[in-house]
Amino acid sequence: MKTLLQARGASLKALFLVVISITMMVVDHRFHHLEVVRTNISLALSPLRYLVSLPVTGGNWIGDWFTSHTELLNENAALKAEGRILNARLQKLEILAEENERLRSLLGSARKIADDVIVAELLSVDQNPYRQLIEINKGSSDGIEIGHAVIDDFGIMGQVIHVNPQSATTILISDPEHAIPVQFVRSGTRSVAFGRGSTSQLELRYLPATADIKIEDELVTSGLGGRFPPDYPVARVTEINEDRVRGFVTVFAQPKARLDSSREVLVIKPRQ
Amino acid sequence: MSKLRYLVVYLSLVVALLLMILPLPLPDWVQIYRPNWVALVLIYWSMALPKRVGLWFAFFTGLVLDTSQGTLLGQHTLALVVIIFINMNFYQRIRVLAMAQQCIYVFVLLLINQLVVVWVEGMMGRTPPLLSFTGGPFIGMLFWPWVFVILRDIRRKAILK
Repeated sequence: MKTLLQARGASLKALFLVVISITMMVVDHRFHHLEVVRTNISLALSPLRYLVSLPVTGGNWIGDWFTSHTELLNENAALKAEGRILNARLQKLEILAEENERLRSLLGSARKIADDVIVAELLSVDQNPYRQLIEINKGSSDGIEIGHAVIDDFGIMGQVIHVNPQSATTILISDPEHAIPVQFVRSGTRSVAFGRGSTSQLELRYLPATADIKIEDELVTSGLGGRFPPDYPVARVTEINEDRVRGFVTVFAQPKARLDSSREVLVIKPRQ
Repeated sequence: MSKLRYLVVYLSLVVALLLMILPLPLPDWVQIYRPNWVALVLIYWSMALPKRVGLWFAFFTGLVLDTSQGTLLGQHTLALVVIIFINMNFYQRIRVLAMAQQCIYVFVLLLINQLVVVWVEGMMGRTPPLLSFTGGPFIGMLFWPWVFVILRDIRRKAILK
């Protein structure tokens, strides 16, 4: 008799916990009330994250230690050369920027100011294989907020979706749940690029068959929607699929950012 | 003192979690086949210490797993509660089985766990590649004998009953 009661007690408890779990999932999916729970557990787990990223950091450190003298000299020379080239380009850019400013003031349109950026490093953490999330080592104490755009040296990587005091979770533009408003540089056509769960491909659906698109076309952020600042490089067109029956074109593009290998990233704080 | 002994249960779960978030230089398609270490370790403890490691334990472990995996809060919680509940009804019969038979049982539990997680992912529109989700439980099953032996030795050293 006693065991029967115990069994029933366990079943009820299991049922109760199942109902709680399902409720939590719905709440977590639809609303943001559980963000506190997530942040607190995440905070408690942060030592583990750092522990896990130690081998990589340590490996880099040892690698640096054993870099030979000649390698350093070569690298130094290469960097100097690159610096000279960049400086030369910058001179031109400054002139262009001034000219641009002047023209804009002539047109009376809003001035463009350089965005504020925060340099962050990737905490090497593996997450759910069905999603494309990365963890960075700067958080709300550094001024990062949900929605800030994350870029690397080559283009847009994603945006911040959870913030902890010392770290932040970033969703990559290649996550199947992510979509980013883009614009073709050459033709000015606007569209939305969806992630497909692979770091090497984005998808632009339902473009009109008459749209002026070529392979190798560059895509930049359009700034529509207000999440991403405009004119940052996003991707390059690699494949154009025409659906003649329905009159639509689907375009595949390769992200410019090194989504799977960049270690240093920049978080862009939007201008107030 | 006796309370302190149960630290090994928590420590083993922390190690399992480390194994799950440890970055391995593997291509994407291999990542899907990484086993759910936390579920494996939890199954062991729920078999060995059914009075201590029960449904609430599974619930809180699930919360931690959800946070570290970036899944919805409740996804792994639900999965772990379900398999630990099943295990609570069967562990007495399973404990006496041969290792090979235990492995099959563990595979079924891990598969149910994975199915719940994938099912929730599917409801949110993220369908994983077909059948690839059975790979993780399969690899997990291959590791069961080692997990079993290691944790049994640890349990005996710590004299947990």
